[in-house]
Parts: sequence; structure tokens; C-alpha cells
Amino acid sequence: MRRFLWPTIVLVLVIAYPLLFTTPFQQRLGALILLYAIIASAWNIVGGYAGQVSVGHVVFFGCGAYAAMGAYAHFALSPLVGIPAGIVVSVLIAAVVGVPTLRLSGHYFSMATIAVSELVRLIVTNVDYLGAAVGLSGPTVPRNVFDMSFTSALPYYYLFLATLLITLGITWWMTSSRMGFYLRAIRDSERAARSLGAPASRIKLYAFMLSAGLTSVGGSLYAMMFGFIDPESGLGILISVKMLIMAALGGAGLLFGPLIGAAILVPLEEISNNLLGGKGAGLTFVVYGAIIVLLARFQPGGILTLLNRLWARRRTSRSSVTAEGASHAP
Amino acid sequence: MNFSRVAGLLCAASLAAVLAGPVYAQSKVVKIGAVFPLSGNAASAGIHAKAAIETAMDIINNAHPELGNFPLAKDAGLSGLGGAKVDVVFADNQGSPATGQNQALRLITEEKVVALTGAYQSGITLTASAIAEKYGIPFVNGESVAANLTERGFKWFFRTTPIASDFAKLYHDFLKDMKAAGAKTDSVAIIHENTEYGTSVASVIAAAFKEQGQPIALDIAYSANTTDVQSQVLQLKEKKPDVVIMVSYASDAILFAKTMKALDYKPPMIIADDSGFSDPSFIKAVGKISQGVFNRSSWSLGAPGSVTYIINELYKKKSGDDMDDTAARQMQAFFVLVDAINRAGSTEPAKIQAALKATDLKADQLMIGYKGVKFDAKGQNTLASGVVIQLQDGEHYVAVWPKANAAAAPVIPYKGW
Repeated sequence: MRRFLWPTIVLVLVIAYPLLFTTPFQQRLGALILLYAIIASAWNIVGGYAGQVSVGHVVFFGCGAYAAMGAYAHFALSPLVGIPAGIVVSVLIAAVVGVPTLRLSGHYFSMATIAVSELVRLIVTNVDYLGAAVGLSGPTVPRNVFDMSFTSALPYYYLFLATLLITLGITWWMTSSRMGFYLRAIRDSERAARSLGAPASRIKLYAFMLSAGLTSVGGSLYAMMFGFIDPESGLGILISVKMLIMAALGGAGLLFGPLIGAAILVPLEEISNNLLGGKGAGLTFVVYGAIIVLLARFQPGGILTLLNRLWARRRTSRSSVTAEGASHAP
Repeated sequence: MNFSRVAGLLCAASLAAVLAGPVYAQSKVVKIGAVFPLSGNAASAGIHAKAAIETAMDIINNAHPELGNFPLAKDAGLSGLGGAKVDVVFADNQGSPATGQNQALRLITEEKVVALTGAYQSGITLTASAIAEKYGIPFVNGESVAANLTERGFKWFFRTTPIASDFAKLYHDFLKDMKAAGAKTDSVAIIHENTEYGTSVASVIAAAFKEQGQPIALDIAYSANTTDVQSQVLQLKEKKPDVVIMVSYASDAILFAKTMKALDYKPPMIIADDSGFSDPSFIKAVGKISQGVFNRSSWSLGAPGSVTYIINELYKKKSGDDMDDTAARQMQAFFVLVDAINRAGSTEPAKIQAALKATDLKADQLMIGYKGVKFDAKGQNTLASGVVIQLQDGEHYVAVWPKANAAAAPVIPYKGW
């Protein structure tokens, strides 16, 4: 049972976080970390485990966000109704886009996904039904609790936490199933995996669709919290890049990598903006960028890889180790 | 035991633990929050807004007898609050609606500001004011023109600027007058960029002209920050409209001016919709080849020694540029907010809100060319207005219409270069 001791303690701490840090900004920061952890974890399925670096994931994020706001703006329904709609549309788009683009390897796949996301952004900018360039807004003065428009960040925090747990649960289930082994084989060498009979195209497509659906949920949650979506904030390439950076920083292809990445980058971005943003020299991004460069230079495998290595070293030096899988790393 | 799991969650918890605690407001200082794009692609506008508000703070906090009866200028500090000083906490919205809302929340809950102003881009004003509404903190906006901002049933949102429908009326009335004076104004073309600003303003102008029985003859949209506008200019050249209304940001406006010269195309009349054509960089780069372009503005420099002239001098010291229309509208909104706080004699949000609702400033109490400031039930200033200005010498805009505010007579046709 020791195996579950630490995770349980940590889970309790995460659940207790908003009760320990009670100012609205701290609670919101916690919620934002969880939100970015959700979308970075969703990206991780295809970007980390399958090794297909998508830079167009914002399309799915946008689907979820637009579905949630559209449900309210066009049908006066709760934005929650948009979640399943967003998932369906995202998975369909992933299937249509994935079949041709997943055949491309390496950088070409990344480029194709960028092209798709920019295309979608330009199309949406000109579609009046989706608010065109002006965007769609959600309920600010909520009619009832289902409008998901709260003053406190607490309800968002626990909603995001539940979603994150589900996302991580699905990821864990996937990695420990046959599909996870296929994915790791494909990532290490697609040609070798194929020659051994792994259905590479099909597995990659499944991973892409699963990742798309989960990203869409993240997009819906984002829109509910901020109550507004426009082409720049819902389909801008920056969000794709953020997902990628957070997963890579924490450790792409590791279950908790994206969460660690989000837990470092989101506070870094918010706090550096709080301290430096008002000075008006764009210092925030200089600091933010410098830290990313340093990490990329000295720890390209991600923070979690570093931690795992340190932990492994400590255990060997103690020489009282019982054999156990150190991590989910291949 | 699985260490990666532990490390992941511990990291989340410990990083959050290093957050700074709340900062408490001091009693002698009235803290106001300002959210502007201080980085990102609208940074230039944000930095000019910051300079405008810092200039306003200087006027309010220090004695400026040279400004005569201009509200809040004569004494140091706020007379209604025992000479309290105003302190503005600036925050960067980074051009993102999410960041804008996060920063508004921080200013309200951590910095304990009593009111907010900002946030330039309409989408960010929308999300930032939504959080102010939830917390019951007054939000005074001086520059965002999207119509829906005042259609949300908010009780804490106030907007001083004229909006697209006001400009549309201004342009229509101006053209009617020009027609009476002998100019040909029958076919009107609109050329606009395709982001939120361009599409919303163009659609409102088109609707207003249609309502007046003069539908727009040609409506051309182009991608913002484009590198080539030849096809758009050639389209105009072929259709030969009498009037071209242009809705563009600065870099596109400069490109259009250069392309028109390269293709030797001069429409009989150009009306520019503020923003890009008011930007100091536009006048520096292509003012000399855009002589005679009409524009709208609520700001005018005034004669040496006038209140606006002195304010511009103060502003110039901070920013290095002459005051432009956008910065002036932001500054005016800030003055309206501080005036309300002063009249409320309190920093209690509800009292400031009541004072804002009771605002009734006359034209001579403003540093901008509105007919006054008085809010309707939705929080929109009903007396907001503007004048038509013209870049007659290629260096300075002068007010040309309506006649009562004009410093010179309008010159047609468009001269160009």
C-alpha cells in the first residue's frame, strides 16, 4: 500500500490548496495551472507519447471554446452543453485532418498542423455566425449555476481538478494498455514498429483523436472561466506553442510532465507580469523567454527527467532499493 | 512508490506557496487600476495611454494654476477627500483577454484599487470589465468602441468615448454638407481591415449609410498587417468612387498611402477613421503624400496658452509625441473617473458609482471636444462627439467641420502629393 501513500498525500494537498491560499488571485492562479495542465496533458498524448509534435492543437481548443460560447450566444443554453458538442466536432476534425497529415513525418507534420490552425483562424475570422473578428461572449451576469459564471475561482478550481484527474486517468490507462506500447514503439522508430506489425497509422490517428477531444474540453473550460472568445485568443498559435512548451518543459511523454510544466510556467508568467508588466517594457517576456532558453539548454528532457535522475541516484547511493519502475519514461 | 507522481504534484503546491501576500491600500492615497496593452502588438497605444494617465495624475496631484478652472487642476490632490493623492497601478494585458481579466482581478483583490480604467482592445475591455462587475468596482472606459460593451446590462461599466454609430453619423452629416457645397459624394466606398476594429466599424458605417438612403457602393476588406494592397487600390481605381472611407491601423495606412502614390491613384475625397491615420508614425512616414486626407478626432491642440495646449506640452514631456486622439480620450475618461471620486468624497465603490451616474460635465470642463459627459442607463456617454479634421499641410491636422469648431475651411479635392 506504500505505493499509494505519496500520491494520496499530494492529492490531498492539491485539493486543500485553495483552502490554504485563500486570496482570489492565488485561487485563480491555481485554477489556471490546472487548466493549462489539462490542455498540455491532452497534447502530451499525441505530442509526447506518440512523438507527433502538433503545433496546431489550438484548433481543438478553439472548437471547445467556441462550442461553449456558441451554446450560450446562439441557443441561450448553458455553456456546459457545448462540451460534448466541442468534443464531437474536434474528434471529427482530428480524423479528417489526421488521416493525411499523420502520414507526414517529423517537421512536416508540425508544419501541416500550423497551416491547418492558421487556416481555421482565418476562416473563423470571417464567419459571422462565430462572431467573426469580434468574437463570442458568454454570460457575465449568470441566470443560474449552470451558466458557470462564478466570481470566486473555487468552483473552477475543483472542476478543472476533476477534469485533470480524468485526463491523467485516461492517459495512464492508455499508456498501460497495448496502445501505449505501440505508441512508444512508434515514437522510438516508426519504421521498426511497422516492420514488427504495429498498426502505426491507425494508432497514431486514435491518439490524435483522443488528444483532440480532451483538448476541446480544456477549451470549453477556458471559455467558461473567461466568458469570451475571439479568433486571436481562441485560435492563435500562441496557445499551441504554450501547450507544447509546458509539456516539453515538464517532460513530454511522462504522465505528470505537463502538470509540472504548467505549475512552473503559469505562475512564472503571471507573477513576472504582476511584478514587471506595469513598467511597460515587455520585460515579462524577456524573463519568461530566458528561463525557457536556460531549461532547454541545460535540461532538454524536461524537469521531471531531471527529478527522476536525481531520485534514482539517491536511491542507488542508499543501496536499499527494491526493484521498481522509476517512471513512465521508456 | 512512484516518484514522478509525487514530484509533479508537490511542485504545483510549493510553487504556489511562494506567492506574495496581499498589499494593503493606504488611507491618504486613492488607488486606481489601469489595464493597458504595454506589450504585444498594440504596445505603442498602451504606452501612450500610460503617459496620458501619468500626465493626468501630475495635473491632479500637483497644483497647476496655469490650467485655470479646469477641474482638479488648481489644488494639489482631491479637495473632496481632504487633499488625498491619486495613485495609479498599471498592469499589462499583453493583448490577451485572459491576461486582461487576470490583471483586473489582481488589481481589485490584491492592490485594492477603488476603480479601474482600460483596456484599449474591445475584447479585453469586455473580459476585464466583467470581473469588475462581479466585484462591484466601477470601470470607466475611454477608448473601446465595440457596441456590445454597453449592451450587457452592467451596472458598474461607464464609457465616455463616442462609438461607431456616432462616427457614422458624423461622416454622413459631413458628406451631406460637402454635397451642399458642391462636392460629388454619391458613391461611397469603404475599405477596412478584417480584425475586430475594422469589421465592426465598417459594418456600422455601412448600416448607417443604408438607413439614410445612401447604400455603400463598394466594401473592400483586407487582411490586417498585410504586405501588399495593390489589388485593393486597383479595385478602387477601376470603380472610381467619389469618397473612400478607410478603416486601418498605422502600418496598413502607411502601405495604402505609398501604394496609392505608386499606382498614381487619387480619389476625390478620402475620409480616414482615426486610429492608423492619427498615429504619429503615419504623419511622419507618409503625411507629405497624404495631404488633404480627412479624419475624425475628438481632440484638437488648440491655440497656444489654451488648456489643451498646456496639457499637450505636459504630455509631450512624458511621451515625446504630440497627444493623439486615442490618448486624449483615455485621459478624459480618467479625469471623469477621478472627478466622480472627488465628488463622491469617498473611496467606497458604491458611492463612486453613484457619483459617476450623476456626472454632468459641460464642454468647457473637458480637455476633449465632446459636448459634455453624461451617462445613460447603460453607461454610455450621450454627449460624446467628434469633429472632422484634415491633414492640409501634410504635418498637422486642423479641425475643418462642423463650422462652429473649425479652424480652417475644408479643402477638396484630395491633393495627395
